[in-house]
Amino acid sequence: MKEGPKTSNGTSLPKYALLFVAAVLLIILPFLGIGGGPYFIHICILIFTFVIVTSSLRTIYLSGQASVAPAAFMGIGAYTSAITSARLGVSPWATMFIAALGTMAVAAAVGYIFSRLRAIYFSVVTVFFGVGVEALIRALESLTGGRTALVGYPGFGILRISGIGVIDFASSKIPAYYLLLILAALTLLALYRLERSRTGMNWAAVAQSPLVASSIGISEVKFRVLAFSVGCFFAGLAGAAYGHYSGVLAPGSYGLMSSIAIVTYLLLGGQKYFFGPVLGVVILVAVPEFFRSAKEYAPYITGGVMLVVIFLIPEGLASLTKPAWLWLRRTAGKGAQ
Amino acid sequence: MQLFVQTLINGLVLSSIYILVALGFALIFSVMQVLNFAHGSVYMVGAYVTYFVGSIFGLPPWGAIALSAGVMALFGVFLEGCGFRILAKDFNRTLMFSLAVIVLLQTTADVTVGGVLRHVPSVLPGLTRVGTVTLSKERVIACVIAIFLLILVNLLIRKTGLGREMIAVSLDRTASALQGINVHRVSAFAFALSCALASVAGGLMGSITRLDAYMGDAMLVKALALVIIAGMGSIGGLFVSGLIVGFIDATLPIYFGAAGGEVAATAFAILILVIRPQGLFGQEV
Repeated sequence: MKEGPKTSNGTSLPKYALLFVAAVLLIILPFLGIGGGPYFIHICILIFTFVIVTSSLRTIYLSGQASVAPAAFMGIGAYTSAITSARLGVSPWATMFIAALGTMAVAAAVGYIFSRLRAIYFSVVTVFFGVGVEALIRALESLTGGRTALVGYPGFGILRISGIGVIDFASSKIPAYYLLLILAALTLLALYRLERSRTGMNWAAVAQSPLVASSIGISEVKFRVLAFSVGCFFAGLAGAAYGHYSGVLAPGSYGLMSSIAIVTYLLLGGQKYFFGPVLGVVILVAVPEFFRSAKEYAPYITGGVMLVVIFLIPEGLASLTKPAWLWLRRTAGKGAQ
Repeated sequence: MQLFVQTLINGLVLSSIYILVALGFALIFSVMQVLNFAHGSVYMVGAYVTYFVGSIFGLPPWGAIALSAGVMALFGVFLEGCGFRILAKDFNRTLMFSLAVIVLLQTTADVTVGGVLRHVPSVLPGLTRVGTVTLSKERVIACVIAIFLLILVNLLIRKTGLGREMIAVSLDRTASALQGINVHRVSAFAFALSCALASVAGGLMGSITRLDAYMGDAMLVKALALVIIAGMGSIGGLFVSGLIVGFIDATLPIYFGAAGGEVAATAFAILILVIRPQGLFGQEV
């Protein structure tokens, strides 16, 4: 797997400026009063959740493992957190992280068992795992509510912080917006640091050639399992946080088709690029929302976007950013002359 | 006795329909090295096309199944020519293309004909009595048609020139092209055959259960399971894995409920993959 094009020194300043502008925009966004109010906020929360999941899936892909079960791990996190908070009376703030760690443990065990499979075989076994998890959620009726939705577990409730005041998650969507925004930002930061670290290089090595990697002392199994469990940790975290925000869990949202949708976000955005998943999620979640008046036709937009990307932009949407930036600079330069 | 024989027939029906679908999936994989995830959706569309050509032209059920198979074969040629042939070398893009096809087909089915309860009329409706056991004729005939087709396809692959060309292409694409085999024609034929088989399976299944725009999702997983248990590239092994999975699906839900049966079936597929990645009859990977 090749690395994405490195930005030269000349373009690194605008990159940080761009990030800064994006951060400011995202922070003031809920108060700009754009479009449908709470519904708009809800779509943003959805986007943040899937940015976490899709970016963490990309981390798994970095190690050469094309998993097709991200939604299943989201589901494990969501159900674990919801059930432990409801049955044991622990605060969702704690169970969220407990569930993420639990998801990570499951992923480590499963990743170790599956680590002897490569390429298509690994993808296929994760397909079965995803289908099995969804079926298990439906089968464990007394625990998960079975095929009907699980409701009635605690939400984030009202948070009292001395000095800041009261944050009420129940009456407004805005606190959840900031929670997911912070989680997404921290996830991206952590994944970025990991990818640029020695571990990240080892992942790339294992993905490129397991044989060469192990010949220089990089354990294929160790780094594959590590990538898989790190990725699934964040998927579980996102699933748990979103679950406590939405207040309802249904097994259908964690099935094969949801996993495939997440894989689509990743491939469409461009798996070689760090911000590919972000672009993919934003385009595929937001664009159909513009056509909300004809909701049942919205998938045609998704399908159309996918076909365009497959045939015209083989490297994914993120591969357009560099030519777009160059074009922008050229036209801006011309304007100045 | 009643339960036993009915379970036996159900197992055979499910097995033969699974094998029909998986055979097409495996053919495409062997010939083009492509995992066509849209195969389940092709099966779903085949079921709907069977229903509509039957009701619009007033064809008898077997005529509808045959005509629908022809229509879907053309659709298969279209899919191959406009998509998979162009993308064949790139795994991610073929994957994405098949996902896009799923999205488009399911949405079309959902907005145009979904939401209404429909059955494909059965080739042979009614019940029959064998000794003390009552059987539905449609299940028996579905099973018979499927087995007949499977034998036919097997002969087609093994005995005819085109079938042998398919085997050659699946063994080595470049070498076959150098031998003068028209690789594109063989691929197109594999797609046509695969989609036609899926359409027949859809038509047969549509007379047993009701039609649903999302019926292909579960079938795709079954086809994957069959191919994995048999071993990728093993066509003959599909018959054994089909019987295994079909009978698992026919018996386990009786004892564990629908969801429990599904957990057991996927656990079995995972177990086979982990213990024997090459499948029961496949070559070493």
